[in-house]
Amino acid sequence: MIETIAVSFFALLAIGAAVYAALVRHTLHCIISLAVTLFGVAGIFLSLGSPFVAAMQILIYIGGISVAMVFALMLSVSLARKVEHSFRKVVGSIVAAGAFFTAMAVLIMTTEFPVREEPAPAEQWAVANIGHAFLTNYNVVFIGLSLTLLLAILAAVLVAGREEEPS
Amino acid sequence: MNLTFFLLLALILFSAGLVAVMSRRNLVTILVGIELMLNAASVNFMAFNFFTAPDPVVGQIVVLLIIGLAAAEVAVFLAILMVLYRARHEVDVEDIRELKG
Repeated sequence: MIETIAVSFFALLAIGAAVYAALVRHTLHCIISLAVTLFGVAGIFLSLGSPFVAAMQILIYIGGISVAMVFALMLSVSLARKVEHSFRKVVGSIVAAGAFFTAMAVLIMTTEFPVREEPAPAEQWAVANIGHAFLTNYNVVFIGLSLTLLLAILAAVLVAGREEEPS
Repeated sequence: MNLTFFLLLALILFSAGLVAVMSRRNLVTILVGIELMLNAASVNFMAFNFFTAPDPVVGQIVVLLIIGLAAAEVAVFLAILMVLYRARHEVDVEDIRELKG
């Protein structure tokens, strides 16, 4: 019972903040409601049995990515400025996304998924299993992700720190 | 709370991200839309991981991979945004048309 209330709360939080982020005109409000959506999704992860991934979502997404976006906004775009929407583009994109939503919702409702009888045993959900899998069967994923992050950070520093040559 | 509930939740998040990406002209809000879509994919992976997968480790690894790739993407994206702003004082995608280096 209490779990149903918690899941509904996090789901409503995520949906409301996501719709607000998609439609609001103020750029900083958009980023803050993205952070609220990420928090709601972290709660959904918690109810789907993985506290570790929920913690990583909060640490990396909210603590890292949202803060980096706010910093970049402060260094570049003036906060007070509201971006004008073109009304035709908004209506057109809502119609297109609505068509996509309807098609996918019909597909999800009509499909029979092979749902398992009971959830996986608790010892399979232990965090140690994730670490073990990362260092054995999924080692290539781990190394590839590390190298991608290293290259991305180096590239970001090189691109952002480049001096404008006089023209 | 069954599988369909979580899939519909992810679908709503993805549609909101789609609206944000298609209707905006500001690069920062387009990035917000992309993050919403990536999160919808994460919710889908975790839902299938909980309800159908034989081994719950694999879905969590995929979601951690998505989070890491999103961090890398945001770093490069924001660096490009700052260079664009310094050069043109504008991050409107309709005005960024030429590829001169």
